[in-house]
Amino acid sequence: MTPVHFSFSSAFILGLMGLTFHRTHLLSALLCLEGMMLSLFIALALWTLQFEMTGFSAAPMLLLAFSACEASAGLALLVATARTHGTDRLQNLNLLQC
Amino acid sequence: MTYLVSLLLIALIVGLVAVASNPAPYFAALGLVVAAGVGCGVLISHGGSFLSLVLFLIYLGGMLVVFAYSAALAAEPFPESWGDRSVLGYVVIYFVGVGLMMKFFCGGWYEGSWMIIDTFKEFSMLRGDISGVAMMYSLGGGMLVICAWVLLLTLFVVLELTRGLSRGSLRAV
Repeated sequence: MTPVHFSFSSAFILGLMGLTFHRTHLLSALLCLEGMMLSLFIALALWTLQFEMTGFSAAPMLLLAFSACEASAGLALLVATARTHGTDRLQNLNLLQC
Repeated sequence: MTYLVSLLLIALIVGLVAVASNPAPYFAALGLVVAAGVGCGVLISHGGSFLSLVLFLIYLGGMLVVFAYSAALAAEPFPESWGDRSVLGYVVIYFVGVGLMMKFFCGGWYEGSWMIIDTFKEFSMLRGDISGVAMMYSLGGGMLVICAWVLLLTLFVVLELTRGLSRGSLRAV
């Protein structure tokens, strides 16, 4: 595996593990999701550049636009959680506990 | 040149380890800023100057600024940095994991693969990536229209999610 390919693949897997094992804050999970989006943008852009497929450069741009939508939806959920539960700590999301 | 790009790639992995180890969100946003900055450097080293500029402007200047002032919702009196015991455990585990994967997967330097895109290099005034993005306005016009509608839809989604007075999501009151 080339070093560049290894870098963005491991960056994606690191972001995924950070999202899986997030501990206290909802916002840190959203930031790990943004890290995954960053690694995907770098991956698509490098795909375009290394294979010299110039028509594919629209793909990272569209990925960025859709990931902005996703980030804004995630932040709206964060704000709704903070307004309802007072904080975004995950231990407060326990309304379904018996 | 090879050393510069490998330094940027190492900084990318270090930045994402800093985000994935889940410190307080202030520090995770800092790690993401560093990772996006060196990611732009990697893209520039491959000749994608326009895509790197877009990443800086939209990702760092747009999305991460919004995340940075949303970090005020996650305020703590004693924020955990990367030196604190629990976060340091995750950092060490992630570095060891990346090192093990590097042992398995990285075969060598592969210098021939680090090339700069230079299609039509003497015959065109524009680089490859910016002319590719311009295709989004001509042949990819349908995708542009769909993207615009999705952005408008997201605006309404956000308005509905944060509507107050027990009519939005997650309202227990």
